[in-house]
Amino acid sequence: MEKVKQKDLILYSGLIILGLAAPYLFSAFKVQLTYLCVLIVLAMTWNLQGGEMGYNSFGNILFYGLGMYLTASVQVGMFFPLAEWTESGGEKTFVHTTTQYFQGIGVGLLVSAIIPAIVAGAIGYAILGLRGHYFAICTLGLGIAAGEIAGGIEIIGAGQGFTTPPFPAEIVDVEARGKFFYFLSFFVLVLAFVFVKYIYGSRFRLILNAIRDNEDKAEAMGIQTMKYKIVGWMVSAFFCGLAGGIMGGLIGYIDSTDVAFDGREMGVFMVLMAILGGKGTLWGPIIGATLFHFFKEGLWTFILGWQYVALGVLIVVIVIYFPEGLMGWLREKYPERFGEVIDEKDRKSQVELK
Amino acid sequence: MNKIAKLFITFISAIAMALVSFSSSFAKVEGEYIVLGSAISLTGKYSSNGVHTQNGYNLAVDRINSMGGVKVGGKSYKFEIIYYDDESNPKRAAQLAERLIKQDGVHYMLGPYSSGLTKAIAPVTEKYKIPMVEANGASRSLFTKGYKYLFAVLSPANQYLEVAIDLAVEKNGGKPVKIAQAFEQDAFSQDVRLGILDAAKRTGSKIIIDDKLPKELNDMAATLAKVKATKPDVLVVSGHTKGALTAIRQIAEMKVDVPMLAMTHCDAAKLSKQHGKKAEYALCASQWHKNLSYKDKFFGTGKKYDKDFKKEFGYAPPYQSAESSAALLVFKDAFERANSFDRDKVRDALKATEMQTFYGNIKFGPGGQNTAKPMILFQVRCKGDTCENKVVAPTKWASDKFFHPIPPWSERG
Repeated sequence: MEKVKQKDLILYSGLIILGLAAPYLFSAFKVQLTYLCVLIVLAMTWNLQGGEMGYNSFGNILFYGLGMYLTASVQVGMFFPLAEWTESGGEKTFVHTTTQYFQGIGVGLLVSAIIPAIVAGAIGYAILGLRGHYFAICTLGLGIAAGEIAGGIEIIGAGQGFTTPPFPAEIVDVEARGKFFYFLSFFVLVLAFVFVKYIYGSRFRLILNAIRDNEDKAEAMGIQTMKYKIVGWMVSAFFCGLAGGIMGGLIGYIDSTDVAFDGREMGVFMVLMAILGGKGTLWGPIIGATLFHFFKEGLWTFILGWQYVALGVLIVVIVIYFPEGLMGWLREKYPERFGEVIDEKDRKSQVELK
Repeated sequence: MNKIAKLFITFISAIAMALVSFSSSFAKVEGEYIVLGSAISLTGKYSSNGVHTQNGYNLAVDRINSMGGVKVGGKSYKFEIIYYDDESNPKRAAQLAERLIKQDGVHYMLGPYSSGLTKAIAPVTEKYKIPMVEANGASRSLFTKGYKYLFAVLSPANQYLEVAIDLAVEKNGGKPVKIAQAFEQDAFSQDVRLGILDAAKRTGSKIIIDDKLPKELNDMAATLAKVKATKPDVLVVSGHTKGALTAIRQIAEMKVDVPMLAMTHCDAAKLSKQHGKKAEYALCASQWHKNLSYKDKFFGTGKKYDKDFKKEFGYAPPYQSAESSAALLVFKDAFERANSFDRDKVRDALKATEMQTFYGNIKFGPGGQNTAKPMILFQVRCKGDTCENKVVAPTKWASDKFFHPIPPWSERG
């Protein structure tokens, strides 16, 4: 047991060192690496209720977009009148000083984590009574509705979009912005991982699994399923909001349906990545997101105009050959490496019985 | 678990090695080529206009390269463009701009299609001090941000249909008119809307319908039903290509009678061809028309450009293609005047641009917008079954008289 822990320690410290060194090693790829961190956070937290709890949500994009708008609004609103900033698509431009910028984004990110979590609690209370595909469809509607509503709210730019505050000009180093957003996203990734890992070792996960496997039985055993379902979703929302806030700052321009409530892309990607890696596992979504991102960045530019066809083929291949995801496939092939012991005698006796 | 961990570490290090080898293979910036970068919408909702833009760029690259290229420091260089597909998505566009600059080592950029995407890319090019000449981002807010490396060869979006309102007022005997308007919820169309609001205020006109249309625009029957009921003097619609097509299709289907119909993107939508007589009398804002009398030594006149473009791509060039071609002429001119590849020198040369192209005069204002070229309005007119776009305003270029009011559907064949 001690040995395994030591191995884990080596693995984690290795990954952290790699993560910290990455923007220096692959300086030109900082933005892509930032995207990767964000994608992993999204996939990992989607997995909490999609994979562990069995509630397939297409609505997590709601929290992502909410976080994006909130961070930007707080960052501007703390120092300048927000309505004037966004009026006529940002015709007036105020300039943030360096301190204002960082203070703004700090508070903004905090807000963008807490409010989506509260919203998730409220919405969850209303709709988590739905099960299976009813829940999935309902959440799908949430994301779409949010995009359309945001596109009509003047104070956040409506259809014109919202230009987020530019990185302070006083910092001359052109690499600084990339590094800042990378480390920010990496920090959130580590935070999310530690948290999810903690959940994996707790009773909470078992309860989520119980809900997934048979909700009625879980309830019959005295578990207040509703409470746990809501908390599970709130955890997802917390990290989705953070991820959205970072992305808003990184992209620099928020559009209601194409950037913030981008259910067609981000909303689908997070589900896809978790499934690709294997839902219901700790490492699955991480591996899935990494593979997906590399597939996307590496391949897409070589098949200009056909990338969505390739993506479609990928989805079909995953569903047919790896229905349990890569981790699920590995687990089936090498169960002993996942710590699953197969009792040969028992297996044989079962076979003989038939 | 330990085997898994090993597997994972191997996987990560393989990726790391791939990345290292990747980043070093992109060091080349230019040999005899000046490499320009552009993220273009080849898929997604702007794909048709994205292709118009790309065709415009490509035609100009071929033309300039075959006519001696760009002469800098006594040596002749050729243009080359690296394209990526931004999927009509601002998020993707910003990321690709970063990629073009950091990984592909591009030092000069050409704009994407649409204001929204340009808004997403401009902060990136600005940060790295990369001069960008863009031909398809017309939103006014692009030019009020104080961007120093952004140059647009087109007129700002709020100017698109302002003139149409003036025209309507004029036709109404100088009295204010009732305006019905419907705009797609995107940066460009919302800017066109601001222009109309200004014009309405100026002329004292009243806006009786002010609708927003969704981005994937396929239906605007609700707006048209209101138009039928309230009988405005002028209906204004803007929603890129899909908006123009949807408006004409449903106006004809629902037989909506309105004395004046003003739109954008009629030529990109090939309205006169796709909808023929149904599109007749539509008044359209355009950055360019082939009949204008501008010329340059690469493309000759607008008519010649029209012919060459048709020969190459098999359809008549919409203004999106013309302005995109002009962007390259501007770049060539700036490189030669700067006589250097120093980005700041090229930028200064761009700033001092004052030239005529087949597309129009180009001179950049303080915000980077083109101040030397007016917008024009044309009207779709049909003779028998063939329909054509006839310039009706401003009077200097007008080839035909503006037809007003549009006859009711009961009298149209």
